[in-house]
Amino acid sequence: MKKFNLAVIASLLVLAVSPSLYSLAAYATDKETINTPATLRDHTPIMTQKEPNQIPKVVNKDIKQGRNYPMQPPVIPHTIRGYEVNTMNNKCMSCHSRHRTEKSQAPMVSVTHYMDRDGNFLADVSPRRYFCNQCHVTQVDAEPLVENTFTDMNSLMKKKTIKTESH
Amino acid sequence: MKKLFLIGWRTLTKPSGYYSLGALVIGGFIAGIIFWGGFNTALEVTNTEEFCISCHEMENNVYEELKPTIHFTNRSGVRATCPDCHVPHKWTDKIARKMQASKEVWGTIFGTINTREKFLVHRKRLAQNEWTRLKANDSLECRNCHNFDYMDFTEQSERAAYQHSTALASGEKTCIDCHKGIAHHLPNMEGVEGW
Amino acid sequence: MTINRREFIKANAIAAAAAVAGVSVPAMASNLITSSDITKLKWDKAPCRFCGTGCSVNVGVMDGKVVATHGDIKSPVNKGLNCVKGYFLSKIMYGKDRLTQPLLRMSNGKYDKQGEFTPISWDQAFDVMAEKAKTTLTENGPEAVGMFGSGQWTVQEGYAAVKLMKAGFRTNNIDPNARHCMASAVGGFMRTFGIDEPMGCYDDLEAADAFVLWGSNMAEMHPILWTRLTDRRLSAPHVKVAILSTFEHRSFDLADNGMVFTPQTDLAILNYIANYIIQTDRVNTEFVNKHTNFRLGETDIGYGLRPEHPLEQVAKNNGKTAGSSTPISFNEYAKFVSTYTAEYTAKLSGVPEHKLKALAELYADPKVKVTSFWTMGFNQHTRGVWANNLVYNIHLLTGKISTPGNSPFSLTGQPSACGTAREVGTFSHRLPADMVVTNPKHRATAEKIWGLPEGTVPPKPGYHAALQNRMLKDGKLNFYWVQCNNNMQAAANINEEVYPGYRNPKNFVVVSDPYPTVTAQAADLILPTAMWVEKEGVYGNAERRTQSWYQMVESPEGAKSDLWQLVEFSKRLKVEDVWPEELIAKKAGVRGKTLFDVLYKDSAVGKFSLDEIPEDRLNDDARDFGFYIQKGLFEEYATFGRGHAHDLAPYDTYHKERGLRWPVVDGKETQWRFKEGSDPYAKKGSNWDFYGNKDGRANIFALPYEPPAESPDEEYDLWLSTGRVLEHWHSGSMTQRVPELYKSMPDALVYMHPDDAKKRGMRRGDLVKLISRRGEVQTRVETRGRNKPPKGLVYMPWFDASRLVNKVTLDATDPLSKQTDYKKCAIKIEKV
Repeated sequence: MKKFNLAVIASLLVLAVSPSLYSLAAYATDKETINTPATLRDHTPIMTQKEPNQIPKVVNKDIKQGRNYPMQPPVIPHTIRGYEVNTMNNKCMSCHSRHRTEKSQAPMVSVTHYMDRDGNFLADVSPRRYFCNQCHVTQVDAEPLVENTFTDMNSLMKKKTIKTESH
Repeated sequence: MKKLFLIGWRTLTKPSGYYSLGALVIGGFIAGIIFWGGFNTALEVTNTEEFCISCHEMENNVYEELKPTIHFTNRSGVRATCPDCHVPHKWTDKIARKMQASKEVWGTIFGTINTREKFLVHRKRLAQNEWTRLKANDSLECRNCHNFDYMDFTEQSERAAYQHSTALASGEKTCIDCHKGIAHHLPNMEGVEGW
Repeated sequence: MTINRREFIKANAIAAAAAVAGVSVPAMASNLITSSDITKLKWDKAPCRFCGTGCSVNVGVMDGKVVATHGDIKSPVNKGLNCVKGYFLSKIMYGKDRLTQPLLRMSNGKYDKQGEFTPISWDQAFDVMAEKAKTTLTENGPEAVGMFGSGQWTVQEGYAAVKLMKAGFRTNNIDPNARHCMASAVGGFMRTFGIDEPMGCYDDLEAADAFVLWGSNMAEMHPILWTRLTDRRLSAPHVKVAILSTFEHRSFDLADNGMVFTPQTDLAILNYIANYIIQTDRVNTEFVNKHTNFRLGETDIGYGLRPEHPLEQVAKNNGKTAGSSTPISFNEYAKFVSTYTAEYTAKLSGVPEHKLKALAELYADPKVKVTSFWTMGFNQHTRGVWANNLVYNIHLLTGKISTPGNSPFSLTGQPSACGTAREVGTFSHRLPADMVVTNPKHRATAEKIWGLPEGTVPPKPGYHAALQNRMLKDGKLNFYWVQCNNNMQAAANINEEVYPGYRNPKNFVVVSDPYPTVTAQAADLILPTAMWVEKEGVYGNAERRTQSWYQMVESPEGAKSDLWQLVEFSKRLKVEDVWPEELIAKKAGVRGKTLFDVLYKDSAVGKFSLDEIPEDRLNDDARDFGFYIQKGLFEEYATFGRGHAHDLAPYDTYHKERGLRWPVVDGKETQWRFKEGSDPYAKKGSNWDFYGNKDGRANIFALPYEPPAESPDEEYDLWLSTGRVLEHWHSGSMTQRVPELYKSMPDALVYMHPDDAKKRGMRRGDLVKLISRRGEVQTRVETRGRNKPPKGLVYMPWFDASRLVNKVTLDATDPLSKQTDYKKCAIKIEKV
């Protein structure tokens, strides 16, 4: 990853000083990457503004997204527009609570949600977990601005099993 | 007082000695149209959103809650106004509902729900009235727009298509069974089926 | 899903192939890897990198990479929970655009302010920095050198920076971004109690009968404290929650009494409550007589703008006397607040009388234990210190303070705003342990602990955050180092008061950051920085809890911690480069030495050997310098507070504990300060002892409502409030790089009332311009999001680097705390 960064920077440098290579990677200079490193701004100079994109739509396909690690709270694969979670109701629980999942066929909230602060299991979901959106969020249909190179522990384990095998 | 009434009554019951029968029939017909039309026009005025939200109880509570919902703003701009869901379209039902509405007039005059807090106290009962009515008429006011026969399940989310093609299709469930609180905030749902 | 399956198939294919080849694969039991050699993760504790709550997280490491994080079950703060940001901590270090080489603006191989960013070595970077620093010192003196630091610095980094600036460069021009965050809270504490930081602790959350949120959206900004508050409210039905804000937000979902008030009128509401307590004869007379004083504060104190601003021209007391006050009697105080009747306050604030009364009753009722929480609504306020003083008033009038559940509680925004910015004293007027540079005794104490000659620390307060930007623009601050913050995005009035200073040709601006931020974009030199568990450190949270962590993974090669950068750079400067001869003459031993020797290695900082670091632990910084620098910095710093009601435990203790709340005396932490029996510093027989003030009494202040710096008018017809969101941490430089968080809240929209939008011919999704007298920003309209502003007010978060809302905001500050008011300015909105 580091190498990649260096390579990009180096190549940009080359581009900046040698116009003969210009055509090889014109896309990079188009964005004036060299002078404006702000990736989250799509390299737009500070005193100008790129036109904001449209409000993206919330993904509503009900297809479970993989988790980065077992403890990660799953993201919500459907829209929650108009869902009320307040002192009167918890709309999420009308499908995801233990006694509703048979009807709804929605995944039941994890057992940890029944535990109080001291780890005792309660007869119903613990009020400390009441506001679902504090941990669970919907996803919109948009490409991330920056790629993330986080490594899944599975891939690390796979490497090791293959290594063990080759010995 | 009594005398005056009697004179009036006699005049009305006595045959007309002045106007021709034809004039009376035609005149009566026209007057009937005017009165009937006037009545209905007046009735229709009470069937507009403007009328509903001319009371602040409606404007500040349920109407304000409606604004962010899909029944107010959505992709095609077909929006539901208060009477679309809350006033029956069939004339007899409509009149029956209007008679019930006299209670609402009472409520307005005596300020039964003139603060948000009071409104919230009554919210469950008020909501239950509507749920009961819609359950009894098989969600008629929903179906005035959302006609089951013309639903394209492939355009719906998988979850929605499944429920609509099974529970709704078989008549086991009606719209309001699942779609409570879609246009206004919910009351406390403790003890409500499906929650 | 499909990827996983494909991987499974691949793994099975390998296993099959191995079987054919006659090799066993010992790690595999069917399609699961079960061998503990392979599945074992190395777990360790660390405080969360984000907000001031100070949750502890367990960090799982495999093969030198963080592969998992989860809430620490053993932590009393969060007991196993995290918010959505906290759960994604594992990914914040792995954005693909991590910086790994210093980048200098260059043309033709040389530094050029207008040049292009060019990778250079650390050696070259420090060469340029040293040269620029020295030139600045020679030409314009130490007052032209400055630093903007952070409440996200570790305690050690903040302390090393204070030493470098205040003792090394001999300038007080060091301020943290915490100035934007809780300076008003500090001002409030110092003015009322004479000592900084909350007297209560998070245990108040399980003890209170009522909670009042004053300008705090805890549901989004302090989610884990909100889980504790929710737990209390819903599991004990008698508990009431009152919420005040200038717009409806997520916390209102739990409100029993939600109140939306006209901006700035919180001052009137606070005085109304005091008046109500007095009028209904519920003053705790015994407490008030024994433990409080009444004072009348100076008024008409201006708005912290440039002196030539019209508002400052007409303000009567915007000078040095702005914070002064005179003693008054209870009766005079009672008369002062008597004008704040329910009728007057309701009219001014727009909150109905019955709601105000219900709110006041929570405080007035002696049977109700009440905890008040506040964050930026109070602190980012041109009368922020006043607001803090006024809320203490109502807790003091009723004696509802320093006992479980009775707590006026200022919440902190950043993970170490308390630990680093406040306790270490990285402010332009401060020294560690609540001491100030203007006090000769305090300077002498610092010089003694640092082993430096008398007169090393300059007595004049330096430039605070907003002033630093103004001085950069005016060309008076020429060598400027920004670490661990993103002030080009965070500071108000970017167009007029921030950007011009950074790009002023007279100035050389260095920005240290893990990622290329907006601030880095405006810099002359960018230094790639190691973050969070790539280094060892200590954070201090909002309940005085000090927490430490070990380095767990290596940083990307080339990236160095802020601490390493500060200390390594100090090697480039000789004492002769920075100190005048007469100062050196006072301590001849320092002659010819570098600042590294004088400030770090040869002081108490250099006392601890590398042997003290467990062998299996990473510690790149310490091993590079040759001594256990983090422990040395911590222990030297701790000497400031030990015996002075800021006692910290020995450094090693923190590696074992899930944090301890200071003062830690005889190994015991303190839950409620100022209360005898709970706080070892409270005198025997005092019951309550507000020992921060010499007479042991807290001050109740008579302070009025005064209007904000800017209000909507005919042309600029809307209030603009800015703020944060649940899914992103501050400017989003970490969380916007986590795909799940980005996709949950990708863009900063402007939240508007549907009627306000309709009136302007706008609808959801429309491209609009927010225009103020200072600049404009484009975004899209949201009419049905989580925030529901009243008509006449709009809200836009500032996390979005692509839509800089601070181009629009006003750089008015509280004249006492110098904290910017980001919650109120006047704008208009037009369709693009």
